[in-house]
Amino acid sequence: MTTVHDEPDSPVDVNDPRLSRFEIVKEGARRDEIEIVTYESQFHGHNSKAEKRVARNIALLFLIAGAGGFAFLGFYIWWPWRFELGTAMSDYYTPLLGISLAVALFGVGFGILAWAKKLLPHEVSIQQRHNDPSPGDEQLITGQTMAFVAEELGQGIQRRPLLKGAIAVGLAPIGLAAAAPLIGGLIENPHKADPPMMFSTGFNQKFNDGKPVRLTRDDGSPIRPEDVSTGGQMTVFPGIPGGATNEWADSPTLLIHLRPDDAEVTRQNADADRRNKDSMWGDYVAYSKICTHAGCPASLYEQQTNRLLCPCHQSQFMITKNAQPIFGPATRRLPMLPLGVDEEGFFVAKSDYKDTVGPDFWERP
Amino acid sequence: MKRRKVDLAQAPVTFARGVDERYKAATPLRGLLNKVFPDHWSFLLGEIALFSFVILLLTGVFLTLFFDPSMQETAYQGAYPALRGTEMSQAYASSLHISFEVRGGLFMRQMHHWAALLFMASIVVHMARIFFTGAFRKPREANWAIGVVLFLLGFLAGFTGYSLPDDGLSGTGLRIASAIMLSIPVAGTWISASIFGGEFPGHLIIGRFYIAHVLLIPGGLLALISVHLGLVFAQKHTQWPGPMRTNTNVVGERMFPRYALKQGGFFMAVFGTVALMAGLFQINPIWLFGPYRASEVSSASQPDWYVMFMDGLVRLMPNWQIYIGDYSIPPLFWPAVVGLGALTTVPMFYPWIEARRLKDKRIHNLLQRPRDNPERVGIGAMAFTFFLVATLSGGNDVIADKFHISLNAMTWAGRIGLLILPPLAYYVSVRICLGLQQHDREVLAHGVETGIIRRLPNGQFIEVHQPLGPVDDHGHPIPLEYGGWVVPKKMNRVGALAPAIKGFFFPVELPAEAPVSPAVPPLAGKPEREEITTGN
Amino acid sequence: MTSGSPAGRWRFRGVLARRRTAPSRARRRLGAAVRMLAALALAGGVYTAFAPGAFAEDNTQLSATAQEGKQLYDNSCITCHGRDAQGVTGRGPSLIGVGSASVEFQVGTGRMPMTRQEAQAEQKKPQFDKNQTKQLGQYIQELGGGPQLPSDGKFTEDLKDNPEALARGGELFRVNCTSCHGFGGGGGALSSGKYAPALHDASAETIYAAMLTGPQNMPVFGDNQLTPEQKREIITYVSVQLQQDKDPGGLFNLGRYGPVTEGLAIFGVGITILVFTSLWIAGKS
Repeated sequence: MTTVHDEPDSPVDVNDPRLSRFEIVKEGARRDEIEIVTYESQFHGHNSKAEKRVARNIALLFLIAGAGGFAFLGFYIWWPWRFELGTAMSDYYTPLLGISLAVALFGVGFGILAWAKKLLPHEVSIQQRHNDPSPGDEQLITGQTMAFVAEELGQGIQRRPLLKGAIAVGLAPIGLAAAAPLIGGLIENPHKADPPMMFSTGFNQKFNDGKPVRLTRDDGSPIRPEDVSTGGQMTVFPGIPGGATNEWADSPTLLIHLRPDDAEVTRQNADADRRNKDSMWGDYVAYSKICTHAGCPASLYEQQTNRLLCPCHQSQFMITKNAQPIFGPATRRLPMLPLGVDEEGFFVAKSDYKDTVGPDFWERP
Repeated sequence: MKRRKVDLAQAPVTFARGVDERYKAATPLRGLLNKVFPDHWSFLLGEIALFSFVILLLTGVFLTLFFDPSMQETAYQGAYPALRGTEMSQAYASSLHISFEVRGGLFMRQMHHWAALLFMASIVVHMARIFFTGAFRKPREANWAIGVVLFLLGFLAGFTGYSLPDDGLSGTGLRIASAIMLSIPVAGTWISASIFGGEFPGHLIIGRFYIAHVLLIPGGLLALISVHLGLVFAQKHTQWPGPMRTNTNVVGERMFPRYALKQGGFFMAVFGTVALMAGLFQINPIWLFGPYRASEVSSASQPDWYVMFMDGLVRLMPNWQIYIGDYSIPPLFWPAVVGLGALTTVPMFYPWIEARRLKDKRIHNLLQRPRDNPERVGIGAMAFTFFLVATLSGGNDVIADKFHISLNAMTWAGRIGLLILPPLAYYVSVRICLGLQQHDREVLAHGVETGIIRRLPNGQFIEVHQPLGPVDDHGHPIPLEYGGWVVPKKMNRVGALAPAIKGFFFPVELPAEAPVSPAVPPLAGKPEREEITTGN
Repeated sequence: MTSGSPAGRWRFRGVLARRRTAPSRARRRLGAAVRMLAALALAGGVYTAFAPGAFAEDNTQLSATAQEGKQLYDNSCITCHGRDAQGVTGRGPSLIGVGSASVEFQVGTGRMPMTRQEAQAEQKKPQFDKNQTKQLGQYIQELGGGPQLPSDGKFTEDLKDNPEALARGGELFRVNCTSCHGFGGGGGALSSGKYAPALHDASAETIYAAMLTGPQNMPVFGDNQLTPEQKREIITYVSVQLQQDKDPGGLFNLGRYGPVTEGLAIFGVGITILVFTSLWIAGKS
């Protein structure tokens, strides 16, 4: 109001004391190229019955919101919340918080919405928008200014070859120096360790002082053949320290005790294969549990159909046929662990896996 | 006493004057208060995303106060009995701590997760609105592209957040993520080793994902959301065609008092919805999943719904491996890397592609009804059908199990559906659009069906039509031009009867005033209405 | 009404058809008896000729309970599993050596007798009561031996005496069971229409029998692999944590199916509420 505006074509004088406030607002809107077409109360007359009813409803909504808020606080402070087994009061702690907070927020929200929608005057305003680009000469001036800047810097460099070379030689290393710690710090050679980590598991004898690694349960106890019943399977780990932890995430193996006739078929197929030859022990066969597709444990063993299913992407492997994939997105069979039994009668891996364990990658041989 | 009272009343004025003397705020502030916004329910969908982002920030900050992004192994000794004594990472233990030992912590965790799902869901719904109404056309192409990037950032934020608790399910997700990295030709093993700091899973990934989840990605989201909204502000919102509405104006309500109030109320409604869902529906019960172990997995292992399309594509991919000499590209690469890349970048260029194809260089501030651009609707329907089939396939094992369908049959249905359904959706939606267009034109040419049957002297029965515009000498309506907006098709839409339904679907503009075409002045309802009644 | 239409059809077919049906029933019964006698005689003959002596005298050594069981078996099971549970190729496997635990599981949960050949026997209302199931089990046990449920009838651990059993059971459950039955015990799909059932309604006895015998495609978890105590711990986890404990995270647990139902909920509830809200906000009143 106090700012003096030079609006020669202004039809109203805003300093005129006879103007109502709304007229000043309208003038402001006009200066923003807004025409307020309608701005009228939604009710006939002041304090009409309808208006009072709407106001009552809105008040009620706010009161409900308040009640919800109090309820939330009450539940938060006094309702038992510590976890208990079975059905307990505390099982309703989160639901009560949620419902009371929702009541409070919906109360406030719909109160405000109803106020805006029902109580405030109905309004239609039209604001002009300008789709034209900046005036022609403005574009020209800014363009020329930018060209000027580019010319001043660019041609300056071109005229002075020494500067050009110095900038190239001087600034490039700074950029590289900024990138180096980020990239250099993060980068890891996947092929460094000995034995190379992508191609070895915990069953590699190197990790066990050159002795064959035992198959163990997750608590580290070794396994005798009679521990797995016919038609049974067991998840086994390399019997080295920490062998069952995520340190050896590609080592979990599925040890399966097949029924004799299935074992016979499996053995024939395994012996026909160069790598899987002599890898079974009796009716037992062990496959890597890590799916060759995306690395989930392919551990859904169907003991009658002799299939292994991976629950992540539904690749299915045929146990009796060297665990070749028969359905789904996996292309590569599950590697077979060469099984043996040591002098104490416990399962051992005669060697590490001969196929690469885990999901496939570019340089896998 | 009197002087002080006057001073108090004058205080705001003095203060405001002081501010303006320093910052020259009066004019821009008035412009802001007066800014006009158009009003339509579909313009509020993007706000859901904005508001859920705010809720995510609020609840997320709460969670960081208790979460420990460490993969250090510890034996759990907390309040949840079924895991007591179990070895687990600090990250998982602290997530359990939030769920069971922080008062209201479980509620906050669930709000955070539901808000994340709502964020992504509203982004998709909002994008559909933008796409089908042509709101992405010049001058708003860049804002569409920013929106697509926002979806991708939300996707990454969601995936990193899903991984943080280090439970059995999220570890499985990480394992698949590592396999996806490994599948990239040439650099795969290096990328995976660099991100995980060695062989999967290593000891670093939770910490790295944590900083990405709480700083880098939200920072990017915040910056892009600001630009996104800033552009909407600067370019002014699009509007539907209609009475008084042109390409060079905005018809609606000023920001204050009404529009801002509605936004505030809507924020509360979004917040309330998230709170309600967090209270009613249990989400991601990590205590049942146990700590991540490379040897453990659950049936029905799925990512959150917005990643499910990728998982679905991975499931449907046939086992085609490409061998190049001693090297090979595993089948995982195509759906997961190429598929995700294409699905998040190709749509980005759609505005330019469409403009180029239609040779359309004009500025568009008026929206198009979907039916008015059947081809766009067809393409959109095709894309959404593809997305839907892929997403459903991401949950095909649950569907197979609960509806007693063979899992293998589900996979095959998905494979075939992915190829056949999108073109079918294209055809059907284009036909529907053309049909709707034709019906609009028909009503404009002949008038509204009145449901009144009249018998002509020669015995023929005809239905009386109410013309929407003027009639010629023979009483036949003069065909009207289509104006790009709703054509009244029922008598109560042209004011012949009282509105049948009150509330939601009451016509936005007063019916009697509504011009059906810019070429024709608003019709005066009365005489024609009488004409019908007399004709009866 | 229901009998009306077949009768009508018969009448339509004529007198000949009606006359043919009546004697055939009697003849069928007679034929069955003759065939049964013949089969019995043949079986007996063959058995005495070829089978080891102890086997042939089995019938006479059956306990009273097993005798009852044999009666039930011969009425309901023999068509698929064959005489003396030797199995019939293409219909049903031999039951020699499956043990009474297997019978407890299959018959006790109504999976057997099957109504038709399917990818997998469905759980349904049991056809035999508890006592009859016991008798059948006893018969199969005495016929060929095999795994038996523990006689003390103890299938769970008491958490008062052994509070760690719950966490240990949970760990064993995740190692051995979740890959098929799911973290929440909701079951899961297997290949080609087979599935692992949900554990929500499974009784302790049923779960124990299932682990012991490996019904259908479930692997066998013999007592050498999971000791009886470990089995009891797993069952304790399933019954206390998965069946009895009310989920603390909400009134509804969405079936604990994970992201699939959560995704449905966000669209079905969240987006729906908010779209209707925005319709209301923008609608003129």
